[in-house]
Amino acid sequence: MIPFLADIDPVFKVLAPRPADWLTILPEIAVAGLSLLCLLQAMFLPKALRSLIPITARAGLILVAIMALTNGPWVQSADVASFAGLLRQNLPTDGVRMVFLLSALLTSFLAEGFLRERDAAVADYHHVLLVVTAAFMLLAQSNHFVTFFLALETAAVGLYVLVGYLRRSEASLEAGVKYLVAGGLSSALLLMGIVLVYGALGSAGVADSLNFTQIGKALAAQSAAHTVSPLTLTGIALILGGVAFKLGAFPFHTWIPDVYQGAPTPTTAFLGTASKAAGAFTLVLLATGPFAPIAMKLAPLLAVGAVLTLLAGNLGALATIDVKRTLALSGVSHAGFILAAVTAALVVPGVTAVGYDVEQVVVIYLLAYVIGTFLTAQALVSLPAVEDHRRPQLALRGLLRRSPLLASSLGFGIGSLAGVPPSVGFIAKLLVLTLLVSAKLWWVLGAALIGVAISIHYYFSILREAVVRPTEDNEELAPLEIPSGTRFLIGALTAASIIGGLFVLFGR
Amino acid sequence: MENTSLAHHLILAGLLFVLGLTGVLLRRNLLVVYMCLELMLAAATLALVAFSRFNRTMDGAVLVFFVITVAAAEVAVGLALIVALFRKRGTVQSDALTTLRD
Repeated sequence: MIPFLADIDPVFKVLAPRPADWLTILPEIAVAGLSLLCLLQAMFLPKALRSLIPITARAGLILVAIMALTNGPWVQSADVASFAGLLRQNLPTDGVRMVFLLSALLTSFLAEGFLRERDAAVADYHHVLLVVTAAFMLLAQSNHFVTFFLALETAAVGLYVLVGYLRRSEASLEAGVKYLVAGGLSSALLLMGIVLVYGALGSAGVADSLNFTQIGKALAAQSAAHTVSPLTLTGIALILGGVAFKLGAFPFHTWIPDVYQGAPTPTTAFLGTASKAAGAFTLVLLATGPFAPIAMKLAPLLAVGAVLTLLAGNLGALATIDVKRTLALSGVSHAGFILAAVTAALVVPGVTAVGYDVEQVVVIYLLAYVIGTFLTAQALVSLPAVEDHRRPQLALRGLLRRSPLLASSLGFGIGSLAGVPPSVGFIAKLLVLTLLVSAKLWWVLGAALIGVAISIHYYFSILREAVVRPTEDNEELAPLEIPSGTRFLIGALTAASIIGGLFVLFGR
Repeated sequence: MENTSLAHHLILAGLLFVLGLTGVLLRRNLLVVYMCLELMLAAATLALVAFSRFNRTMDGAVLVFFVITVAAAEVAVGLALIVALFRKRGTVQSDALTTLRD
């Protein structure tokens, strides 16, 4: 018998989860339970009551969000490790949990009507959506590469389903397959990276070399003694590559336009917010956690990545006509902003802007991005022609006359994404720029400012189509029917976009 | 076991990984591309087991179980998507995927 097997029993007794550990992930358990409830309802509810499924899902999500905001044992003000160091919670992980919950809630609002119009199953969509949400929430808290890899892959497999969800639409299937191949490639690279880090550190005598805390300690000791092996560095580069794929950063952004264009619009919005938030937050988690000791080696890499991502996203968006593709590429430029913020944290550890540290700035940026994206998506989802790829830029024409409310939703959404002053998007961009000034990263700052200037042009050309351009003669100009729930949602998001910015500035 | 070292295992894993990567980048048939992706995962798994064995730590061996489970789930969803695409288009050549463009 292999000698170390004899030690398993006492080891297991030390590592076994305590009841308090389960309490810390109660919101995640609740979301996972909710996803099962969706399936159960689909099995047992009579047809007439099926419309209850998305309503219970949303009510559940709101309850979980309230739960995550109240001061229970699942909310941590300091760093708390649970499950023998597999998970770690602190204030930023609680914050990003809200980003995922909010994003899932808004996606559910978009998806219900959208799927019903296309005769696709609503319950299954919600089931997968909630599984992915729970996985993302765990991913943000992972402190060990086993939980990290598992949560990331659970989310990825669920997202393949959500992207290719419309089985009768060629565009949706094509996007699904493209996402599958790109995602499979990135997870293989990520896994190889994890294996190399595990092996290289393990060969150097580090015990538990999948644990973020242990990796951080080992790297700190090794980099002080200048003995970080090339194998470890290759592994770290591969891991960051896998995360960059999630985030949609250069050079791993090439899948984004096709997948965002072909996916059902609610999924596009979810991909653009929750999936991007997961990528952004794990990048912060890794760069300021286990990989912090070699920050000086990573900083140039991330700085170049940030500049190229900003340029690739903005120039790409400038050159595209399709609305969904333009928004997809503008999302790439937002990823560049987040990369820039992380670079600032690597160059000057503990750098702050108006009292916010980098993790908080990233969470604020993501929340602003969620609000802007969903306000925009709300307008797009109401226009069938956008989905059917019949010259989508023309579909927006006359929107102001067909529905002033949707036009204003689009206006506030675009304004928030572009960073026009009263919106929270402006404040978020300002915080990132302040970080860059404090870290004296002048050329990244330059790229960010050029990016903002370019983005104003393409964002407002979308808005111009909707507001100013005349419609072609024989196109129907029927006023659009907007359900009262959607009206309320647009109002709430617009208010959040304006009040949120002021709250961030003066709330502390 | 006596004649093989960690380096042997790693070289084999590295070769398999590069083989898979080359296939993903060069082949045009989606099924072959997908098999190459699985080959990359298998290469990573091999390296994981080798490290686990030679460094005498269990973590790697445990991660292998999870990787295999994840790969199975990915294959199930992936093949479903590829079959659905084949039904719709009658081909699984990646050159034929041209619906999405500007």
